[in-house]
Amino acid sequence: MSDTSKAPTAPAGAEWKPVPLLEKIKKEGRVWGDLAQQYGVENPEPPWKTSLEGICEALGGNPCDTSTKLDQKWLDGQVDRKAVGDAAPLPALERRWEEDELSETIYKDVPFPERQLLALAHSLIKRGLVKEDELASRLKQVHQRLTST
Amino acid sequence: MSHGDRDHHAKIATGKGDPQCFKGTADGPPKFKVGQRVRIKNLPDIFYTRCQVYTRGAVGEVAVITHESPAPEDEAWGHVDKSEWFYIVRFKQKDLWPEYPAAFANDTLQTEFSERWLEPA
Amino acid sequence: MSKKHDHDHGHDHKAAPMVEEISDFEALEIAVRELAIEKGLFTAEDHRRFTEFAEQIGPTPAARMVAKAWLDPKFKQLLFTDVIEASKHVGVDYLKPTGFGTPSDYTDVRVLEDTPTLKHVVVCTLCSCYPRPILGFQPEWYRTPNYRRRLVRWPRQVLAEFGLSLPPEVEIRVEDSNQKCRFIVMPVRPKGTEGWTEDQLTAIVTRDCLIGVALPKPGVTTNVKLQVMHPPGQAH
Repeated sequence: MSDTSKAPTAPAGAEWKPVPLLEKIKKEGRVWGDLAQQYGVENPEPPWKTSLEGICEALGGNPCDTSTKLDQKWLDGQVDRKAVGDAAPLPALERRWEEDELSETIYKDVPFPERQLLALAHSLIKRGLVKEDELASRLKQVHQRLTST
Repeated sequence: MSHGDRDHHAKIATGKGDPQCFKGTADGPPKFKVGQRVRIKNLPDIFYTRCQVYTRGAVGEVAVITHESPAPEDEAWGHVDKSEWFYIVRFKQKDLWPEYPAAFANDTLQTEFSERWLEPA
Repeated sequence: MSKKHDHDHGHDHKAAPMVEEISDFEALEIAVRELAIEKGLFTAEDHRRFTEFAEQIGPTPAARMVAKAWLDPKFKQLLFTDVIEASKHVGVDYLKPTGFGTPSDYTDVRVLEDTPTLKHVVVCTLCSCYPRPILGFQPEWYRTPNYRRRLVRWPRQVLAEFGLSLPPEVEIRVEDSNQKCRFIVMPVRPKGTEGWTEDQLTAIVTRDCLIGVALPKPGVTTNVKLQVMHPPGQAH
């Protein structure tokens, strides 16, 4: 089946490298389908899905913003926010193309919308917008915060 | 020229919507008419385009003239000073895909292009 | 449409079941969001507005607009000339939440009218553009490259997978929504609905009918249960 929509994304030859933190979540995280079944909850989607959509929309920015600059630094994840100026942090089309690629490779066995969430985190880390280690430590804090009350 | 003002879009579009906010900003009336046969140009892609590869070089018919808007190739870079007319162009599926079954000769596909992608056929 | 954890509404009602644990995914969403806000990638205010938007959209407005158009030629005329205005009649302000719509939905919606010899079906090959303010969120299958790549080229095969087979005389017209326009399909009003109310008609215009992969049928008020071919996951 030929590719009917060519989506230029990462530079030629770039591959998707797994992010260890996200691989751990992928392997160990419990997906909504299992949780809902276990607890007898009927909602077809997890409660965080709408907030995830809010993040994606907010990152997509203003339609007139510069989407991306043809700048190797940006593609490599070394972001100079001043150089990029008013660029949307993660424009919708690029985010979706990366989600498509990740969904066919690293996250191909992850259900939706967990897959969308992992792809989002992966895109942010790849661009240097969020660092893996700070995400790891924030995750610990969040778990502690939510399980202590 | 890109707009450094983050609120620029909000200022021009609030209360009107997008693409309504670009009404009247193209350089003149639409170049093509409804019903006109057009060919999709194979312009070089400079990183960002919304013109699908499967339509390049195909001939179809203008079905609808939709609106004026900056072309996505410009809008992606923040270049929103120029607008173009947009057109929905309708193709026979058999003209897009060589193996499309002859039994379904009526089937069509339509999709939208900014004016720069079209030439008379 | 997803809801927050169900709450106990009072001593008369049994508490609705709740998931009693914090999943890694739930924590990941929170962590990503907090870090993004702290780094100035977006504001908490913007996130709140877009999340509220996400929480209240669904497919009923579009279904009701089709039902109204079937019943009232004047409304049908409005639907074909000014969808934004017509949306107000079903309680949707298309300019929310920013005053000019959401960044990804825009405000140019077109209605594709089927006839007995013309069947429309919508796709966005580039990503998964969709008229969310009146139709809610895309089903998972609509987002997959599997649907997006195949529908434009093998529409009859894909429609057959949804249980829809049409004779060769019927023109199948695929709409690839690749720019700012968004589309809903107005199917032919089915036989057996004579004398029906707007509510009854609304109930059979399912999301799948509005995308174009199903035809409305008396008695059918749910979407096609489709196991998404890739990856394994919930059927929607």
